[in-house]
Amino acid sequence: MIDRTADTSPLDTYTLNMGPQHPSTHGVLRLKLTLRGERILAVDPVIGYGHRAHEKMAENRTYAQFFPNTSRQDYLSGLIYNVAWAEAVEKMANIAVPERALVARVILSEFNRITSHLLWVGAFLMDLGAATPFLYVFDEREAILGLLETVTGSRLTYATARFGGLSRDLDDDFPRRARAVLARLEGRWSEWEDLIEGNVIFLQRSQGIGTMTEAQCRAWGVTGPVLRASGVAYDIRKAEPYGAYPRFEFDIPTRPECDAYARYLVRIAEMKQSVRIIEQALDALPAGPILTEGSIGVKKRLKPPAGTFYHNVESARGAYGIVIVSEGGTEPWRAKFRTPSYANLAAMQDIMCNTMVADAVATLGSIDVVIPEIDR
Amino acid sequence: MSPAELVARLEAAGAVVPAPFEHAVGGMQEWRWVGPAHLVAAAQAARDGGYFLESMTCIDRLAAHQSFELLYTFNRYAPASRVAVRALVRQTDAVPSLSGVFPIAAWNEREAWEFFGVTFSGHPNLTWLLLPEDTTFQPLLKSFTAPPPSIYDDSMNPAPPAPEPAAKHE
Repeated sequence: MIDRTADTSPLDTYTLNMGPQHPSTHGVLRLKLTLRGERILAVDPVIGYGHRAHEKMAENRTYAQFFPNTSRQDYLSGLIYNVAWAEAVEKMANIAVPERALVARVILSEFNRITSHLLWVGAFLMDLGAATPFLYVFDEREAILGLLETVTGSRLTYATARFGGLSRDLDDDFPRRARAVLARLEGRWSEWEDLIEGNVIFLQRSQGIGTMTEAQCRAWGVTGPVLRASGVAYDIRKAEPYGAYPRFEFDIPTRPECDAYARYLVRIAEMKQSVRIIEQALDALPAGPILTEGSIGVKKRLKPPAGTFYHNVESARGAYGIVIVSEGGTEPWRAKFRTPSYANLAAMQDIMCNTMVADAVATLGSIDVVIPEIDR
Repeated sequence: MSPAELVARLEAAGAVVPAPFEHAVGGMQEWRWVGPAHLVAAAQAARDGGYFLESMTCIDRLAAHQSFELLYTFNRYAPASRVAVRALVRQTDAVPSLSGVFPIAAWNEREAWEFFGVTFSGHPNLTWLLLPEDTTFQPLLKSFTAPPPSIYDDSMNPAPPAPEPAAKHE
């Protein structure tokens, strides 16, 4: 490869639009790339194509009426976001949650995390030109989505959480079905390792690509698997424990290489940790009610006390923060959603500079952005 | 630097002001009200203490205080602890930009500008981020309650021409 960084000849710069219609931007995203030859000099992300005013909607709906909006922010971590809204309001209003519901929320959230990472693996490999893994991971995703549909009624966007628990209980056969799905998944790891990690083209296109140091992560507020692939063991499930997570043993996988390959390895390892959490949770699932007796929110309007509250959870993409400002009424005064993809995409303005345009797709794909949660 | 140490540093620098109103807070280890002129120094102290800018929220308090509240939360990796810095800024005042301290603040401030109309001095590119480039209103203000005009709204379009009479079949 000829290094032209020292080239001072009067080559013009060229502005290339990546998007907004592009198969690899994972949503409607426009990246204005300023190129000199094939080297990217600057990246200007243009976002907002999917702005649907969720924060304004939150001010005009009661707390329970906002449940359907939660999954639409990040549709791949829809269940995690749904449960996070319930948890935030429960913290504000001091609503107790029964033990069974706490453990059930962990099981469902971890299944949701696995489906999100599975889709990412397929989409990332597809971006690099490998079409086969996409179908392989979707086969596993189908099994999990079918399982989640039997207990929540939905496959992608969920409205299953309520203030004080979940709206539907897990039936008695659920642990058997869940273990069957986990057993299926267990047989796949070595298959995918042979298919993907042994592939020299994949290694050449992901190792050393899209490097992000810890200092860059800190400057941009990057969280999630991207941060963990830069060597920082920061996971909200351990840093600010919530729900039933403190009861279960799991590791936080990190890698030191800071590149796209490291992010791939971290997500695979995270899926295995999620399986570990689900197995422990299924063993520890207690009997009992799934929703606090007399729980209000849907039938009777909830009026949390006034104040400013921050609730932080680990979504599949990173730290998801909900800021609710309540003035004591039935509707929030202000609800702000600190979404992980927002900071992760903003960091691209720094990371993509001085890289080759051929690696732009791999870099963007490796950070796993979901545009609707950026645009809200 | 622990949250208590960071807060002590802010207080020592004279950045902290008394709370303008009583408001309960949850989910934060420490929170202080800071004068807007001291925001950059507070952010630098947080950065030096190993914190990152986690979020920035603008809250419309025009009805009660004729001001916006800016809520910045800083967090760190280990041990995680959230420190919130809150500033009350009058509607017409410009706020010093934090984009020189934390680059992510450039996007947070653009969002506050386009949704509330808060101006930030020293911002490299204060323009629309999520909204269309020719938006003339600030949607998250409490005073904004009417839907914006739309090409799909008949009142904006000229009256359609009278329909042609049906052609007679021979």
